Amino acid sequence: MRLVRRLGVGALALGLVAPFAGSPFRTQQRGLDLDAIARAIDEGSDHVSALQLAEWIRDRRPGLRVVDVRSPAEFHDDAIPTAENLPIDQLAKSRFAPDQTIVLYSQEGAHAGQAWVMLRSLGVTQAVFVPGGLADWREEVLSPLLPANGSPAERARIAELSHYFGGSPRIGGEREGEVAGAAQTGQRSRRRGC
Amino acid sequence: MRTLRPYAEPHVTGVCLGLVLLACFALTGQGLGASGAFASVASGVVVAVSPETAVHSAYFLSYLQDGSPWTAWLVVEIIGVMVGAAASAALAGRTRHTFVRAVRPSNGRLLAGVAGGMLMGVGAALARGCTSGLALSGGTMLSVGAWVFMVALFLAGFLTAPLIRRLWP
Amino acid sequence: MNDLLIAGCIGVAFGWALESAGLGDPPKLAGQFYLRDFTVLKVMLSAMLTAMLGVFWGGRLGMLDPGALYVPETYLLPQLVGGLVFGFGFVLSGLCPGTSCVALASGRIEGAATMLGLFAGVLLVGLAFPVIDPFYHSTPHGPLTLQRLTGLPYGVVVALVTVVAVSTLAWIAKREAGR
Repeated sequence: MRLVRRLGVGALALGLVAPFAGSPFRTQQRGLDLDAIARAIDEGSDHVSALQLAEWIRDRRPGLRVVDVRSPAEFHDDAIPTAENLPIDQLAKSRFAPDQTIVLYSQEGAHAGQAWVMLRSLGVTQAVFVPGGLADWREEVLSPLLPANGSPAERARIAELSHYFGGSPRIGGEREGEVAGAAQTGQRSRRRGC
Repeated sequence: MRTLRPYAEPHVTGVCLGLVLLACFALTGQGLGASGAFASVASGVVVAVSPETAVHSAYFLSYLQDGSPWTAWLVVEIIGVMVGAAASAALAGRTRHTFVRAVRPSNGRLLAGVAGGMLMGVGAALARGCTSGLALSGGTMLSVGAWVFMVALFLAGFLTAPLIRRLWP
Repeated sequence: MNDLLIAGCIGVAFGWALESAGLGDPPKLAGQFYLRDFTVLKVMLSAMLTAMLGVFWGGRLGMLDPGALYVPETYLLPQLVGGLVFGFGFVLSGLCPGTSCVALASGRIEGAATMLGLFAGVLLVGLAFPVIDPFYHSTPHGPLTLQRLTGLPYGVVVALVTVVAVSTLAWIAKREAGR
């Protein structure tokens, strides 16, 4: 029984100290470094294309975190594969490790851009966003228009990327064929529930 | 016959269980569970027997979307539970005890078991979890739904227990 | 494959722990609801306390990210009703889904009976789902946590839950010592 008593006291101690332990989420520096932000926007290092994101996901880029900043309902409806749902109000409380690459997206990109600035103000500099959002993903990755005057290698690259995500490229405005595995489109790693 | 080992101290076991749960969170980002395994297997059976039926139920469909329902994470985990429990019982000499010496439970008790199981199946499906998945794992993350489930569970248990006192002399 | 290996190992440890505490024994589990045997509460509360404190302090020490861990979605009404129904079933069978497997693995036929019932119950819900669907999806609150509900900081909620849990365990200990 003595061990049990010690465990109980230990638990109580850990619990009672908890409120004074500060946030278990890494504290971020708050403040807007306007110069750095303006520079990033100018250089274009604040965003990535949907195609680039697709390549990163396929190549399993280490430290990649795809973040959907829309509401849970929209997220459940359709999302980019491997994405996690962090609505804007939860975003501020989330923790991001410095070696992660955070890619934000929303429906059309506006909210993701705002989220990018918000994260910047919290000192998170390793984030980028997809300017066209999910709409771009659908258009550039799931049903991309293969450029008629592009090199065969380039068209193959885009087509292969599209197929990887269950999409079907379009040649000159026409669908290539039946969308393979409709269930795969917009599929993401499903919570296994309990 | 091996001597019967007494049961382990519950608080200490609880702490060990908590550490296993913690490891699960650390390794997989989620807690563990049990009722989901039953739902997964049930969905597998339904789709094998009558794919039509499976397609018309969003509930079964949800368990069929990520690979085979027979090798779902929870199913493999539950198999592990049985292996671990069998090993623990065997080592403690409890398996032979129950196989050989156990008084076969009355038919009434068995029927109550089936009925209870049905109720729990319904309850767990509605709540999206059971004591292991929702209450324990959800409770750890301070989920409101988990706490609501837990309180309701114990409330119902305590309130209905006097009514079936004959079952548990 | 890695995933499933982890699943198996976690399961084995889980099953071992449950059996060793006697949670595969229906009269023992049912005894909780007659205040005869408090093993269920002792194990559950100790486990939850340990994991909750582990998650909080693990986060504080930078070893894991509580913000990235899965919080189940809250559906108030279905979970309330589900809990009530589940509780009744628990007392009837003396087992829960996890422990029914433990019971079976240690040779108890009650385990098989309960598992059969569980399958039937889940099947029922699945078959009746088109009808149940609206209720099933009612009162959603997303991954709602106690801290978001009350507006209290995470640490304060942890402290409060700890105090409640430890007090309950202490009350149980005192009650048992008094016998």
